[in-house]
Amino acid sequence: MSALTGTGTLTRFILRRDRIRMSVWTVALVGTVAMTIPTLDEAFSTDAQRQARAALMDTPTGILFGGPGYGLDDYTLGAMVVNELTMSLLIATAIMSILHVVRHTRAEEESGRAELLRAGVLGSGAQMTAALVTVALLNLVIGGLSGALMAGYGLDATDSLAYGLGLGLAGLTFGAVTAVCAQLTEHGRAASGTAFLAVGLLFMARVVGDLAERGGGPSSWASPFAWVQQARVFDDLRWWPLALYPLSILALFGTAYALAGRRDLGAGLIPARPGPAAASPLLNGVFSLHLHQQRGSIIAWSVATFLFAISFGTLATEVEGMLDSNPDLMAMLGGAAEDVTAGFLGVMSGYVVMAAAAQGILSVLRARSEESAGRAELVLATAVGRVRWYGAALAVGVLSTSLLVVLGGLGIGIGALSSTDDSSWIGTMLESALSQLPVALAFVAATALAVGAVPRLMSLVWAWLGYSVFTTMLGALLGMPDWALNLSAFGMLPQPPVEPFEAAPAAVASAAILAALVLALAGFRRRDLAVG
Amino acid sequence: MSSPAVDARGVDKYFGRFKALDGLDLTVETGQVAGFLGPNGSGKSTTIRVLLGLLRADAGAVRLLGGDPWKDAVALHRRLAYVPGDVTLWPNLTGGQAIDLLGRLRGGLDRGRREELLARFELDPTKKARTYSKGNRQKVALVAALASDAELLILDEPTSGLDPLMEAVFTGCVLEAKEQGRTVLLSSHILSEVEKLCDTVTIIRQGKAVESGTLEDMRHLTRSSVRATVTGDPAALASLPGVHNAEIDGDRISMDVDNDHLDTVMRSVTDLGVRSLVSNPPSLEELFMRHYGDELAALNGNRGSAA
Repeated sequence: MSALTGTGTLTRFILRRDRIRMSVWTVALVGTVAMTIPTLDEAFSTDAQRQARAALMDTPTGILFGGPGYGLDDYTLGAMVVNELTMSLLIATAIMSILHVVRHTRAEEESGRAELLRAGVLGSGAQMTAALVTVALLNLVIGGLSGALMAGYGLDATDSLAYGLGLGLAGLTFGAVTAVCAQLTEHGRAASGTAFLAVGLLFMARVVGDLAERGGGPSSWASPFAWVQQARVFDDLRWWPLALYPLSILALFGTAYALAGRRDLGAGLIPARPGPAAASPLLNGVFSLHLHQQRGSIIAWSVATFLFAISFGTLATEVEGMLDSNPDLMAMLGGAAEDVTAGFLGVMSGYVVMAAAAQGILSVLRARSEESAGRAELVLATAVGRVRWYGAALAVGVLSTSLLVVLGGLGIGIGALSSTDDSSWIGTMLESALSQLPVALAFVAATALAVGAVPRLMSLVWAWLGYSVFTTMLGALLGMPDWALNLSAFGMLPQPPVEPFEAAPAAVASAAILAALVLALAGFRRRDLAVG
Repeated sequence: MSSPAVDARGVDKYFGRFKALDGLDLTVETGQVAGFLGPNGSGKSTTIRVLLGLLRADAGAVRLLGGDPWKDAVALHRRLAYVPGDVTLWPNLTGGQAIDLLGRLRGGLDRGRREELLARFELDPTKKARTYSKGNRQKVALVAALASDAELLILDEPTSGLDPLMEAVFTGCVLEAKEQGRTVLLSSHILSEVEKLCDTVTIIRQGKAVESGTLEDMRHLTRSSVRATVTGDPAALASLPGVHNAEIDGDRISMDVDNDHLDTVMRSVTDLGVRSLVSNPPSLEELFMRHYGDELAALNGNRGSAA
């Protein structure tokens, strides 16, 4: 029996088990491409319009979510698609690949299902291989269809092919990064956390490199986020940067297999140690229990958000550098260097709020998994009431989300201070992030309401977050109507420093959040506990 | 006598269209050990969760320790301790931490008894819960429950993961609890366990209580198995009222006797001159088989036709 015995069966099983999940990702991502191409074509139909757009892409914010800027000199439809869409697609495929690989490797081991399978006729490497085969399939189908759509729209077929291939390989690379992360700890959650952190760092590496010099600096080349665009598709196509993908994929898979071969099933490379025989006096209630359960995750999110915020903040220097070397840019963006920097940092603090919202959703969902696992039953059978248990869980969600928002604002401020020597940034950026606190908490409240009253609707909260992020990143570009943009949570409230803070909408939002939390508690008190 | 510790009348519970409990009645008198017997999926755990106020009954009346388990959950839970059938713990807490936490949430536990129970159940409290087997997770919940001073213990198949040695420890603990005057509701599908521990038994099937009473009462409803060697011809015994499944082999006879006819049958046996006599009381197994016998027969029938 080889290490790969049973891989085929398992691969078919994963395709069967995840057929809906995989189809949704494919339709969503390919659909975005399908929707974007004609919209861009119509919205920017003249050369003048396209060059105006290209100038915008040459700004710091443009580079952050655009890329190194190939093809901006002659901003044809193909170059436009590549510059406008690549980062959104890569971030989405990274999330997809991380979730997929962890779900079919470490999460299976953690749940004990892997033990059941491995006791059968199944090779030791079969599960990881099946996870990687399916993630490869998923990414290549998405990349392939995207490329085919572009070629079908009349764009150059060779460039379309290269682009589609690059997208697919980039997604697969993120899957390979995850396969390594999944070997390190015993927990699926920690594995995906590590992978998200690794991918986040790779993204930052590209941003730093691309902001440093036109066409990307050395740190860009360290990042798989860069290689698709370094192939200069629809500009001056060169294939060799794409070869970096298979090379790194092979190296990462090799590492993952080597690590997997050195450990027991279910074990991490970092072994578990015995713990205290008695609980500390601090662990004396449901709030401290919830906090104890989420401690690691809250610390990880806080550290990651703070560090990313600081590094976003330090990009202020790059922004000022660009403005110095390109006075026209300042004129185009209309105004003083400070306003441009403020606009850029304001966008950054928007992303901090997105991270806080995602953490808030996950935090409240922990209460749900406590419930489905049967641990809530154990606690609620003691002298702890429903409202106290769920209220404490929601308090942890609200507090941790607020902490992230504060740390994010503070981090951007500190980063900006360190690069501009202007200490007023700390206050400005804190205000900017805090003005959006109700937006992040709205996701906490929505999740709370779903879990408390109508658990069936839980996935709608993710859909809302996904939609809100999507419209923030692409809504204006795609010319989405105002009512559709208004459904997004981000942009609900005016955000300093670009817009002045307004108390009235913030108060209304806070009241609505409070009402939703109360309803959530009432709902949880009335419904049956999910058991068994 | 004071009001019963558990008193459920005509309880219905639906999960969607599935009727999990169908007019269930269950009474546990204070100070008694009550067995709650039924196969998997018969509604034992659902009943217990209704008693704990985790699920709300769709119909019927439920009283627990004199209160409403849904409305007065917190106050009632201070007076009871619960061990679920499938114990899940917090993977990153040690067994000792989980025991202390559950104790504190209930309102305190006896340190001395905690240490004693840890030793008796041979449980290592420094291990993280994720490394525990099913049996060890169950021990954590058992120690937490037994170290409390709860007046009512609700135990849902508490021995399903324990080895025979630990089962014996468990039996000892329940008997001690009974001596201390605590009330115990013990759900199980292990007949010998219920027979050993329980004063009363309720047999549940498809969400309905089909039989309940003291073991004594129930034994009266059934048959004892009697084997005797007699001087005379035992053939006459076979036709007596209340005698079933008589098998005669020379001067030996084995038969099942209805308990209300036991007296007359025994007189006839002694009239024939007894040389040896063995009589076994009906086991709970037989009671159980009587209520699930048709299911078993159907199962065997299916197997027969499949083969």
